[in-house]
Amino acid sequence: MNIDWLSGPLLQQLNSGVILLNKQLQIVYINPYICRRADIQLESVQGKDLFSVFTDAPQAWLSRKLHSVLSLQSPAFSSWEQRQYLFKLPHLRPVSSANQYMAQNCSMLPLTEPGSNEQYVCLLIEDATDAYVYQSQLQQSNLQLQQVNRLDGLTGVLNRNYWQQQLEVEVQRAGRYQHPLSLLFFDLDKFKRLNDEYGHQAGDIVLIEVAKLISSLLRETDLFGRYGGEEFAIILPDTPLEGAIEVARRICRRVAASPISYQQQQLKTSVSVGVSEFNAATSADELIQQADLALYQAKRNGRNQVVTYYPELIDSLKKVKS
Amino acid sequence: MTDLSFTEEQRDCLQELINVAMGLASDKLARFLNTFVHLQVPAIGLVNAAEIPEQFRGQYQGLHSSMISLGFFGDGGLRGETILLYQLENAGKIAALLGYDDDATSEAEMLTDISSILTTTFLNGLAEQLDNSFSYAAPRVISSRDNDFIGKLEQTAFHWQLALKVDIRYELTDYSFDCNMILLIPGEAVLKLKTILDHVLAEF
Amino acid sequence: MALTALICDDSLLARNQMKKSLPPAFDADIVTASNGLEALAVLRSQEIGVVFLDLTMPELDGVGVLEAIKAEKMDVFVIVVSADIQPEMQKRVMELGALAFIQKPVNTDKLSAVMRQYGLI
Repeated sequence: MNIDWLSGPLLQQLNSGVILLNKQLQIVYINPYICRRADIQLESVQGKDLFSVFTDAPQAWLSRKLHSVLSLQSPAFSSWEQRQYLFKLPHLRPVSSANQYMAQNCSMLPLTEPGSNEQYVCLLIEDATDAYVYQSQLQQSNLQLQQVNRLDGLTGVLNRNYWQQQLEVEVQRAGRYQHPLSLLFFDLDKFKRLNDEYGHQAGDIVLIEVAKLISSLLRETDLFGRYGGEEFAIILPDTPLEGAIEVARRICRRVAASPISYQQQQLKTSVSVGVSEFNAATSADELIQQADLALYQAKRNGRNQVVTYYPELIDSLKKVKS
Repeated sequence: MTDLSFTEEQRDCLQELINVAMGLASDKLARFLNTFVHLQVPAIGLVNAAEIPEQFRGQYQGLHSSMISLGFFGDGGLRGETILLYQLENAGKIAALLGYDDDATSEAEMLTDISSILTTTFLNGLAEQLDNSFSYAAPRVISSRDNDFIGKLEQTAFHWQLALKVDIRYELTDYSFDCNMILLIPGEAVLKLKTILDHVLAEF
Repeated sequence: MALTALICDDSLLARNQMKKSLPPAFDADIVTASNGLEALAVLRSQEIGVVFLDLTMPELDGVGVLEAIKAEKMDVFVIVVSADIQPEMQKRVMELGALAFIQKPVNTDKLSAVMRQYGLI
């Protein structure tokens, strides 16, 4: 059976796009799949430069790729996962997602005309919108799950586990680029008494409100986490000690000046803050320990205040214990 | 169980065909990149695919490396998957040569582009030597900047019986680019390959 | 007296291919070597008329052999037979004194033409 007649109707009805280009990247043929979606006529684009017809196509990158196909006589590929689309074409899905254009997989194949040995490159374009939509949904769910895994359920700040991971990252970064980095540890003063007096629900609300208040005082890049119970910690990247003390004092003042409403009552609260600063020899664990020692000293000094870590703190605390 | 091992003649034959394919590839790459490309004698090793992850553990552990896969199909049941392994810092050099510094291209896209150029150019040459022609699946990034590099390689190698390990060193005029190519070939395709090699050997 | 030709290639297949590709009119004894060091040992110990020399080989590559031939002023025709066919490489080996450059896999017609040109057949 002679099947020479087959390629014509196939190209007409193929559910993929076909664009044939000559060595100058001029359009030789476009099948109806592309013509209809791009709303162009084959006759009107034949012989025209690809990028004069598809003006939005990524010219620098795509022409480099097409030239590699011609010169190496090896196929090249483009996947929607890396580049959502090459050509702005509509897709046939109901507009259920944000993506306006058809996600595309594209194969670029070297072809040689048997008679003339003339070289061409053929673009085969497949609709990958379904895969794209599915993947986007999956990514969104994963992102939500990731958020849940990183946050403290009650206060919405970072949980201890994730906060500690971030501290490791920041300590490494500060070490590598010799950037300053400071740490605040703070604790709600007399939180146990508040719980005993007004109940755990009141305690929870105080934690939530204080966390909210402090979050509003921080920069986007600061990393605010709940370390445990009523203890919180803040990583201040690119911040030297003076800046950190300034932030700590502001936190202290604002918390003390902002009583929290609970069942028609105004609950007064305050925080004690310990500050430590990173230097090249400090590990993440040491940084935590130093801020924690300073916090302990702030409590001993009478609460509602800021104490900065200094090496003698260790000795003075030893004396207290012995 | 069918014997998938190669005789010394078959191994030598394959080595020579690969050398010739490499020569064709380096010539094409040199013309394309407009620089002198020197391909060192590729050491080929035929190993059980299951042993592959262990062999690369030491070489790539702890480095930012990248692993790109590309499937190929030929006539007569010849098929397989190539995996190209390289360190990311090497990728930057060749990317610059390919002109990748001038526009916004994602790293994954750059890696798949580099890999498909290196792999398909070589495989086209090999197909030519075997009187065959290959068609290719789009390349995909299996792992990049990934701590579980070896784990991913284990998962990939698991499906295959035989692995042909080809160490390639592309030396360009002003720097060298090391990478490892692994050809993973399923059992039945190994038998086809052995038959093809025997044909080549019988001719000489 | 018949000429002695040396085929130097690390691959047995390539050496056999080379032997079979030689034109029937070429009347010569054939000796072989599987790397550059072996080839130099042969060249130093016996009279060789022509070498068919591969480039990519372990121990000592073809360029190394050409350099040694040049340095030791050996009187021998060298025809490079290589898979590495880049123009740069061709230029390099011709500068080192090779007579001709034949691309692998060997095309017998081209080989005959080259050998005729240099009076080997």
